[in-house]
Amino acid sequence: MIIAAVALVGLFVAMYLLLFKLGVIGTLSCKIGSCDKVNSSPWAVFLGQPVAFWGVGYYVVLFATALAGTTERFVADRRVAVALVTLTGWGVLYSAWLTYLELAVIHAVCMWCVVSAVLVVLMFALSVADLRASAK
Amino acid sequence: MANASTRASKKQFTLLLVAIGVLGAGALGWVATRSKGGGEVVDPNLPLGTAQGFLMGSPDAPVKIVEFADFECPACAQFAMLTEPDIRERLVKPGLASIEFFVFPLPMHPNTWSASNAAYCANEQGKFWEMHDRVFYTQDLWNTQSTSNPGKKMKTYAADIGLDAGKFAECFDSQRHYPNIKASGAEAEKRGINETPSFIIGGKKYSGSLPYDEIKKLVDAELVRLGKADTTKKSAK
Repeated sequence: MIIAAVALVGLFVAMYLLLFKLGVIGTLSCKIGSCDKVNSSPWAVFLGQPVAFWGVGYYVVLFATALAGTTERFVADRRVAVALVTLTGWGVLYSAWLTYLELAVIHAVCMWCVVSAVLVVLMFALSVADLRASAK
Repeated sequence: MANASTRASKKQFTLLLVAIGVLGAGALGWVATRSKGGGEVVDPNLPLGTAQGFLMGSPDAPVKIVEFADFECPACAQFAMLTEPDIRERLVKPGLASIEFFVFPLPMHPNTWSASNAAYCANEQGKFWEMHDRVFYTQDLWNTQSTSNPGKKMKTYAADIGLDAGKFAECFDSQRHYPNIKASGAEAEKRGINETPSFIIGGKKYSGSLPYDEIKKLVDAELVRLGKADTTKKSAK
């Protein structure tokens, strides 16, 4: 349940960054770091689409999976827990790669990207705990 | 009993999701609406004009610093305010380098078109750099977050820097330089520029708001490469 709630928060963060990338929002609210620089860099595009676009898709899938796991039909289904660990594990790896790029290549940190990374790590920890609990 | 507890827990969970949804959608709606007012919509079918760089310094200066910047980009404003005064004083004035400025309007900065238009129109009266400085130093007063009418600010700046207000307004309102602004952006993309500010010094591309020391190092290296290293003595450390 908590994972779905966290994924929903992440979805709004990704949507905020996507709206900026699409030009709907002029400037990102960024008290810490340099969001504009990171989101205007070539690394903010992946496979021809803004990273934020993939982020929105990722969080939608994660939210839907976590929500499905709360329904009576899937609540005891271990496959949902495995899917969540896989999805969030991928998210942790991708976030680590993006954080590396920010620190070592772009030389700027985007506060919202850090928020997203923290959310993904939190969801990974929760889904691992969930998987362990479901094994018992 | 257990069922009642599960039901209560599910109800709380649903309420939590609804609360996050309402807060998130409300926040996004608020920032989008607030920004939308300031966003100028530029015709995507605008014809392509001529890309023009604006030169500061001697055309014969041994090193040319080509800059690509967006007037609404905060890092570009930071560069213009913190680094560029030193470059002008220590590299451009002694004749070691010149600056050629190209506008590169990024899609996330709609008001940059008005600022670029103002700079092009100021150039018609020989005051490109005065308007360049004015718009960068006041960026937070006319950017997309601040106003839905950047043109009004630009006309005030035109008067501030001593332009003929009537001629400026005619040029600004006609938007005749928009195709050239678009061409300048296309020129940046053609040269492989994908962030602002970016620089080309000695044929090599550099990105980000570089500090003066780094720019000087690159200019000095280029002077050495050109065999004009003795002229570096002219520049202050």
